[in-house]
Amino acid sequence: MVTVEEIEHVSKLMKIDIDDHIEYLDKVKKMISYFDILDSAGVESEEISMPEISIESLRKDEFIPFEDKLIEKMNHYKGTYVHAPKMS
Amino acid sequence: MMNLKISALEFVEEAKNGNISVEDFIGKTLERIDSVEDKLHAFLSINDKALDQARELDKKIKSGKDVGSCFGMPVSIKDNMCIKNSKTTCASKMLENFIAPYDATVISKLKKQDAIFIGKANMDEFAMGLTTEFSAYGPSKNPWNTEYVPGGSSGGSAVSVSSFECVASLGSDTGGSIRNPASFCSAVGYKPTYGLISRYGLISYANSIEQIGPLTRTVKDSAFMLNLIAGIDPNDNTTVNNNNEDYLANIDSGIEGKKIGIITDMMGDGIDPEVLTATKEAISKLEGLGAVCEEVSLEMVKYSVAAYYTITATEAGSNLARYDNLRYGYDFPVEGYEFNSYISKARRNFGPEVTRRMIIGGFVPSAGHAGKYFLKAMKVKTKLTKEINEAFKKFDLLIAPTVPVLPFKIGEKIDDPVSLFLIDINTVTANLTGKPAISIPFKIVNGLPIGIQLLANSMNDKLLLQAAHALEQTVTLPEVPI
Repeated sequence: MVTVEEIEHVSKLMKIDIDDHIEYLDKVKKMISYFDILDSAGVESEEISMPEISIESLRKDEFIPFEDKLIEKMNHYKGTYVHAPKMS
Repeated sequence: MMNLKISALEFVEEAKNGNISVEDFIGKTLERIDSVEDKLHAFLSINDKALDQARELDKKIKSGKDVGSCFGMPVSIKDNMCIKNSKTTCASKMLENFIAPYDATVISKLKKQDAIFIGKANMDEFAMGLTTEFSAYGPSKNPWNTEYVPGGSSGGSAVSVSSFECVASLGSDTGGSIRNPASFCSAVGYKPTYGLISRYGLISYANSIEQIGPLTRTVKDSAFMLNLIAGIDPNDNTTVNNNNEDYLANIDSGIEGKKIGIITDMMGDGIDPEVLTATKEAISKLEGLGAVCEEVSLEMVKYSVAAYYTITATEAGSNLARYDNLRYGYDFPVEGYEFNSYISKARRNFGPEVTRRMIIGGFVPSAGHAGKYFLKAMKVKTKLTKEINEAFKKFDLLIAPTVPVLPFKIGEKIDDPVSLFLIDINTVTANLTGKPAISIPFKIVNGLPIGIQLLANSMNDKLLLQAAHALEQTVTLPEVPI
């Protein structure tokens, strides 16, 4: 059974800041607890299959110029740099 | 009086022949939107250049110049697809000022065909939900009864089509997000084979299973839309070559002799008796058309919802990690914040459901939990795919109700996440296995719609549309009462 402490720990790692811990975490706990049904699926021996895309099917690894200057569309663009919060 | 209730194909025919002025049609459509939007809230934004675009197209049509095959058809677009220089919010406060710098591939294709994007449709925030109640800008309402949810996450798309605020719409379907609202609003909702339509320019939720698809008034309209937007795209490596298949050609072929499997696992516990009755009636109608229907079991369906939410939350956790409010986002100054605390604070603009799924998306694939959750979910996905592939060795098509319950009241289930999860049980299978599936309006019970779902094997979209068209022809439904 998942604990509230485990969920809180993951929230911090995900950089998620929430006020009403109890309400959030109770719902998250209910959702994760529902996933316990996977334990009875009997799929332990199953090999996971993944779609394969051959390298020939991928587009060429080449530079395609973009018509606009995307950097100018950034939130905190200051003409010659982007203003970001200070690193601790 | 302009008839806004015509199908996409009828619109194209009338506009091509000069019987409809695009300007008049777009003008009347905007009037219609104006008159019903306060009741329905299908749109997050309206294209204020639509009338100008319509006038330009009328000039082109009159001058005999080449005009694209949409002839100015008003199309609504779910607000998670990028239209260059237009606001694309994903129904989130996090993106409330985001102006898309490029067109999604589906948008480029429709622009070339002279579609007019009438507005951006409401949705659950980042497509996470199945009622539109998780839109940061308020829910859409079901046009059949405005106290009820329209389904989701492409709820605004379904509402706009069924209440004549546009002729067709594009939505996206990660676990039923096209088919569910189509069923709840009595529209056709079609999720094509995974890879048939490019996802370039669709704001990512769960890339490995989501698909763009049409919501329309008729199955033929969905085939028409698919003809315009399907095909390989160098900007999306998961797209597949459909050899320019014409999905509209021979759509009247019928289904005589086709074998249809009735998915028993989607008609068991929890199904509304009215939905069960409607499904049995649909099966009888298909048999009447010459199809042979037999029961089939997909045992993994029971675990599919848990597998679906585990996989999608994991992919969402990764996809939403890009929202640090530095590259794009809302107006929130950086002064006075340390880097990590800034991102945490900025992310408060995510709504509650998105926040919950991000936490789950961090939890289920994490060290110590991946074996119990994520890897098992992937194994269920693999086994479910084997089961459905086995079923398609015997059957041409599969059938089940699109949603096991009737539309419910706004707010009725919002505090019970597991109860909401289980509404997806009949739709997630097509996403987890990559198969095409379509919801066809079939019945109105107590003033609320019921849709029937058909599924086909991968790349058998043409057969699926033929069967859906055949079923559609057996029913005549009342008009939406709004």
